[in-house]
Amino acid sequence: MRRLTACVAVLMLALTLIPLGGCSDEGLDFGVRPENRARPVELVLLENGRPDPSVLAEEQVVRRGNGEEPSTLDPHRADGVPAAHILRDLFEGLTTISSSGQIVPGAALRWNISRDARTYTFYLRRDLSWSNGEPLNASDFVYSLRRALHPDTASASAAALLPIANAREVLAGELPIEDLGVALLDDEFTLQITLTGPTPYFLGLMASPVAYPVNRRNVEAFGELFSMPGNLVSNGAFTLNEWVPRTRIVLEKNPLYREARDTLIERVFYIPVEEASAEVNRFRVGELDWTSEVPSNQFAWLQKNYPDELVISPWTGSYFLGFNLTQEPFVDNPSLRMALILAIDREIITDKVTRFGERPSYSLVPPGIDGYVPFTPEYADWTQDERNHEARRLLEQAGYSDANPLHLEIRYNTSGNHKKIALAVASMWKQVLGVSTSLVNEEYRVFLQNRQQKIVTRVFRAGWISDYNDPYSFLELFRTGHRGNDYGYSNSTFDALLDEVGTERVRARRERLMFEAERVLMTDNVIIPIYSHVSKRLVNPHLRGWQPNVLDHHPTRFMYLLRSRGALSSASPSAVDAVSQAASVEAEAPPPPEGALPSPETAGPQADEVDDEDSSERIEQENGEGGS
Amino acid sequence: MALLDVTGLEVEFETPEGTVRAVSNLDFHLEEGETLAIVGESGAGKSQMMMAIMGLLAENGRARGSALYRGADLLGMTARELNAIRGNQIAMIFQDPMTSLNPYMTIEQQMTEVIMHHRKLKRDEARAQAVEMLRAVRIPDAEERIRQYPHEYSGGMRQRVMIAMGLLCEPELLIADEPSTALDVTVQAQITQLVRELREQAGMSIILITHDLAVVADIADRVMVMYAGEVVECGSAEDIFYNPQHPYTRGLLDSVPRLDRASDQDLHAIPGNPPNLLDLPVGCNFRDRCDEAREECREPPPVWRDETGRMSRCVLPMEGGKRVDPDGTGPESRATNSASRENRE
Amino acid sequence: MRQEGLLQLAASRLIGLVPTLLVLITISFFLIRLAPGGPFDAEMAAPPEIRANLEAKYHLDEPLLAQYFRYLGEVIAFDFGPSFQYKDWTVNELIARGFPISATIGGLAMLLAFFAGVLIGVFAALRQNTASDYTVMGIAMLGISIPNFVVAPLLILVLAIYGGWLPASGWDWTWQRGLLPVVTLALPAIAYIARLTRGSMIEVLHSNYIRTARAKGLPERTVILRHALKPTLLPVISYMGPATAALITGSVVVERIYSIPGLGSYFVQGALNRDYTLVMGVVVFYGMIIILFNFIVDLLYAWLNPRIRYDEGE
Repeated sequence: MRRLTACVAVLMLALTLIPLGGCSDEGLDFGVRPENRARPVELVLLENGRPDPSVLAEEQVVRRGNGEEPSTLDPHRADGVPAAHILRDLFEGLTTISSSGQIVPGAALRWNISRDARTYTFYLRRDLSWSNGEPLNASDFVYSLRRALHPDTASASAAALLPIANAREVLAGELPIEDLGVALLDDEFTLQITLTGPTPYFLGLMASPVAYPVNRRNVEAFGELFSMPGNLVSNGAFTLNEWVPRTRIVLEKNPLYREARDTLIERVFYIPVEEASAEVNRFRVGELDWTSEVPSNQFAWLQKNYPDELVISPWTGSYFLGFNLTQEPFVDNPSLRMALILAIDREIITDKVTRFGERPSYSLVPPGIDGYVPFTPEYADWTQDERNHEARRLLEQAGYSDANPLHLEIRYNTSGNHKKIALAVASMWKQVLGVSTSLVNEEYRVFLQNRQQKIVTRVFRAGWISDYNDPYSFLELFRTGHRGNDYGYSNSTFDALLDEVGTERVRARRERLMFEAERVLMTDNVIIPIYSHVSKRLVNPHLRGWQPNVLDHHPTRFMYLLRSRGALSSASPSAVDAVSQAASVEAEAPPPPEGALPSPETAGPQADEVDDEDSSERIEQENGEGGS
Repeated sequence: MALLDVTGLEVEFETPEGTVRAVSNLDFHLEEGETLAIVGESGAGKSQMMMAIMGLLAENGRARGSALYRGADLLGMTARELNAIRGNQIAMIFQDPMTSLNPYMTIEQQMTEVIMHHRKLKRDEARAQAVEMLRAVRIPDAEERIRQYPHEYSGGMRQRVMIAMGLLCEPELLIADEPSTALDVTVQAQITQLVRELREQAGMSIILITHDLAVVADIADRVMVMYAGEVVECGSAEDIFYNPQHPYTRGLLDSVPRLDRASDQDLHAIPGNPPNLLDLPVGCNFRDRCDEAREECREPPPVWRDETGRMSRCVLPMEGGKRVDPDGTGPESRATNSASRENRE
Repeated sequence: MRQEGLLQLAASRLIGLVPTLLVLITISFFLIRLAPGGPFDAEMAAPPEIRANLEAKYHLDEPLLAQYFRYLGEVIAFDFGPSFQYKDWTVNELIARGFPISATIGGLAMLLAFFAGVLIGVFAALRQNTASDYTVMGIAMLGISIPNFVVAPLLILVLAIYGGWLPASGWDWTWQRGLLPVVTLALPAIAYIARLTRGSMIEVLHSNYIRTARAKGLPERTVILRHALKPTLLPVISYMGPATAALITGSVVVERIYSIPGLGSYFVQGALNRDYTLVMGVVVFYGMIIILFNFIVDLLYAWLNPRIRYDEGE
């Protein structure tokens, strides 16, 4: 007994001592065990842009950490990022995205947009089938869009489909489902969707889960259980094989998918990991090839120890604080708001507080969205001293002084990151303007309710991460009466500009209109821009074929795994020789994943019945200039 | 050779307040077949003395001196040696029968384990003996009741069980520590009667610890009176009862109702309280409560002895006794041959 | 008489369970609905049409009392309804999948804690106030005061990432994945049980009946194992009822750190998402488990302690 106790004692003592020695602000630093860090061979591409089989790992199985458990695999009722990742592998909409995040033809081979931008005609591929072998055609899409908007489906994400004609009335049960603006046109392969008004991001919307097709017989046979493994029939690159809640979702390659020939990954594990640090741990021991994110407090450590694995890229998201324009002291007080905007040193926040490679932001729309260059206010070029000076002048002009001090509050939902940012902002206001600020943190749902009611809020945590590669999806939040407009902002000039954006089909003009709208918004000082989001994750260097993109959408079908150095492939010896030569020439650093795989516009097989005219039409559509 | 010969026994307790000397400089002996009553108020050290001899002191207790049982010093024994004697040759019955039996075990389990351990009997044999012994202490339906738990017994019956348990191995010495104190008066008498009968049947020696002189009157051969950890008077029961020498003994006797007294009005308690064992007065311990106290009592009192073994510790001369220098029998002179039992448990 | 006592005890407890559960259901039903915010709130508020459809689907458009009685009716049929958040699963399914995992990990942790804790506690009690007593109990104190969310990442770091001996997290019913969660959960309980055992054992060793046992000349081993251990374990047993109930229903922290699909996270996730049915289901289930374990403890206690049996039986 004494010996056992001694063992226990030693173990427990060791546990108590380790944190004293090994713990730092950046997490525990034991270094990285070299044997865990096999390196991939150099990538060799064939002439068609596909990887040479000799460089591929024998087992094409990818394990993706996926954050929270998905809400459902019913594409119409799903919400949240984790479900969307899986659904993008299981299903394919009329449009889909390329590895670089561009909208490309999916189930539809091409489409026409009417001059008033209210009618979309999709021409479907003719050889499509469901994963159970049944043919797939436009009537499946009619059924699916109707189902998504059916009151009984009670889909929260159906809000995205409101631009479709009569969608609101159908949702409200005021019109029968047949009145929805979705119809077969000439034949089984032509689908026409009528909109209530111009919707610039509509093609992107058609690539999102709520617009995916579901198999009617499947849904009618199994009811709400149709999305269970064994039941689910899908049309994407993968099929659902297994679902153990909060443990794993396993997808298998769908041999009936239209591009199955080019899908190299045989099996995908989506592993829900609620805790970001647990995801990193599992990545480090080799149980994951891909994490959904990384915890922000480990950035520096990961950057030092996992430089090849840590991938950071711009994301379609902006972090900002909002003013409640309906409550004092912000009603009709732009100089006060400007003072508060100016007094913040964004670089300190991104460099010292959030520290994750976020970019300081001076406007609403994050950079990198579909080639749009966001509006940059004049003060962006000033030094912080100049901004502070101007801020003090404006505050004084707004009537505040030592005799009449200003007291503010920042409200945010409970989270370490929000708190840190609110603290930094409050201390900058105190330091520069002498404004005292109290921080109010609230549980998420309480915060959302307060923010939407616009009564108790003054300055609050805001921000937006868009599902669409379109600046409009940010700007529309500030339309008068928009349900995302928690600021109480209303400016008819701004609204009119957005109306014009909706119908403008010439890309350059549309961009100018959006730029002008953003300028109006930013000059009205509605938000306090802080930074643009980045996506950040660890990726196994063997995993290639994907590309960082602003949407952070990464369908597995573009991916493949390289084999490790020293591991023999099953390919011919000559190919192996070629690989080892290439490896010796290119030395240590592997090339970044970008450009590893050409986008499917050029690489994907062209459907047989497409004539040249259709193709050019399609490409013009992608550039946003078609149909003029 | 005496059955038990205790010399120079000291018992001390380390407490947060200081060292408590519960027993000091104690000598006595017990002959085979003899019944010795040890009398004194609560806190006089009677019980702790016996606990020390039996190796049952609390962790903070220390015993010095020697206690020779058939020539072997109990105080110097290992746990194994002592366990061979405890419960086997020397049995002990405790003051509080309500808590002295294990409430989580049946009477059968508690009784049989003694003989099974010491006599290596099988369970059936042990059980038969236990039942027989319960009958001997007059437990009705012993066959049935042996299966019960202590809480299903009354206090008197529990003490009978304790006695039965003590007698199972036919011990040579039974130490009964106030066996009847916690019981009501009629039960007290029954228990006393039982002890007397058993003594006669088994012919064992008994040390009976009590604060009640009345109990010992007709059971004890000899009586030893203790006060504040010391023996103040010792002698045959007859001498102590009819010719007490020490003022404390007289005081004890006066506080007991007796048939040879006229009425209750002559009954009086000894005034005051026993001294604080942490801070004993210099000189006679009883001085402050003694109605015969005088100036000389500030010195350690002399010890008087006679050839019958009678002894008294007082400035008052003992009838027919010779004065013995107290220093001559002091603890220091015996310190060299005393054994410590600190390492026993 | 003894059997009757136990049966009566069991019956009275089972009858007492019904009002307890009813109170539990009522309070939690109205509390979760009183909380600001609803299950369908999002960064951007849902349009009223959609909100209405969602509320109709989950009967949230009915008067609160009607919802309450509807829920009561469902609970009586052991139907906790569909989860709002995990739309493809009913709450029954989620509990049926999560509970066996939590129960296995928690049960093993409790077993480990019991044996290790009692062993350490007895060891320390027998060496009361010696250096080894202080060392062992000092470590036990640390065990209580170091929280799970510190211990677990350390264990992962040392044994999984650096050592490479065990998986970092996740669940698949193998001992390798179960070991660290079990140990993490057990550590504070070991420490607590050790302290409880030590104190209890010291008290028991001072009791008169132990003195009697020693006076009977029984070897120390017998005194400890036969006479002292059972009464020593009584406070441990009464601690273990609620503690086991808490452990087998899942620890949120441990489940998150080790990515275990147990029951614990559902409670927190459910509350945060205002997933009314999930929260309620877990609360009611949790309540039943706690009541069940207190009941088991009462029976165990009565079995260990003849006096209770007697008193209740009379």
